[in-house]
Amino acid sequence: MTKEKHKIKKKTVIAVAVWLLVAAALIVGIILTDPLYETDESVSEVMEDAVLHEANQVDLFGLAVNPALISGFVVTAILLVAALLIRIFAIPRFKRVPGKFQLVVESAVGWFEKLARTNSPHRNSFLGAYIFAAGVYIFFGTLFELIGIPVMAISGVSLSLPAPLADINGAIALGCLSYLVILSGGVVSNGLRGVGRTLKDFSLPISMSFRLFGALLSGLLVTELVYYYLALSFVLPVIVGVLFTLMHALIQTYVLVMLTSMFYGEVSEPHVPKQKVGRSAVKHKKQNFAKEVNHE
Amino acid sequence: MPLNIDWQQILLHLLNFLILATGLYLLLYKPVRRFMKKREDEYAQRETSSKQALDDAQAKREQYEHKLADVDSEIAQMKKAAAAETAAMCSEKLRKAESEAKAIVDDAREKAHEEHDKIIGGVGDDIRNIVDEMTSKVALSESVDDAYESFLKAAEEDGNEKD
Repeated sequence: MTKEKHKIKKKTVIAVAVWLLVAAALIVGIILTDPLYETDESVSEVMEDAVLHEANQVDLFGLAVNPALISGFVVTAILLVAALLIRIFAIPRFKRVPGKFQLVVESAVGWFEKLARTNSPHRNSFLGAYIFAAGVYIFFGTLFELIGIPVMAISGVSLSLPAPLADINGAIALGCLSYLVILSGGVVSNGLRGVGRTLKDFSLPISMSFRLFGALLSGLLVTELVYYYLALSFVLPVIVGVLFTLMHALIQTYVLVMLTSMFYGEVSEPHVPKQKVGRSAVKHKKQNFAKEVNHE
Repeated sequence: MPLNIDWQQILLHLLNFLILATGLYLLLYKPVRRFMKKREDEYAQRETSSKQALDDAQAKREQYEHKLADVDSEIAQMKKAAAAETAAMCSEKLRKAESEAKAIVDDAREKAHEEHDKIIGGVGDDIRNIVDEMTSKVALSESVDDAYESFLKAAEEDGNEKD
């Protein structure tokens, strides 16, 4: 009994010591990294820059670009390396009855494939591949802002890399590309009729781009706002930073791939010519209808 | 440009995404999909073959039940056929036996007739021999009674020998 009590006491002491050490490490980290994010900018300037990236641009081989473009490159590199590792080490070991990791990979691929198949039953192999890539890019790109990799702007200010699509240029690129993919589906399936169907929704690239941009930007702005004040850097980032980011990563992925596949399915649907109804047929129909009404 | 829209950066984003999409398609989407398709086909094939086997079994069962239902009438038919066959065989055998018996009787009759003719034919010579013998005996030694007696005795002995 005494021995057991002694054991429990020892465990408690170890737990408290670990907690204190972690807390101390965090405080030291906060104090040490605080000067890194010190800025002379006001909160409105920070917010404006988060939207427009006019002041804090980053150097890319002599070209001044928005930090989100760097984020895009980094995300692409990470995803490609991960895909390569999965291709080399995991896929050859896939079994008929999947394990946990295989199940995750298969579910992801299967989900996008199914989405493409159900929304566009007539033509979907290219659509499936496209929405898979777009979905993965949006999801992991949005989560990327959680890492907060610091970079130095040309102006000398230190900033953390945002989500690639929090930049208007990235959002326009993906929105317009999605529209072009939809247009291509229409052209391949229905020729000029498909072009007509796609152009009918001429506001689609704008709405898609700005929806993506707005959604991701709002998350970024909230995060920027929270991180601007040191006092808000405890507990709150867990909610606004992690949960919000996770949620809108999921939602934006779903929204863009769903819209793309739905419009793609709509424009790639084969044209069914309307049956010509003659005068006699109309007259006959009317007579039948009148008979039914009288009968009732 | 308003909102810091930069066409060069848009193109860079597009290029970046193009590389990502191609890479993801070749490294992840296509191989995983191929694997899933292969497995799906395998399961579909298994399902088809098991369905085929099930259909075959069902057909055989129906066939068996059908046969079982007809077996009584089939047995009756077989019995009838067997009885008819047996009767035919019996009558055939009987006919054969009768014809064989008739042939045997005819043969025996013919043989007896031949024997009779042969015997009858042979008796004349024997009588003549006996008469000659007796005549010579009578003429040479004994009385008529003795001679007659000897003649009867010799005829009787000859008859016994022939039997």
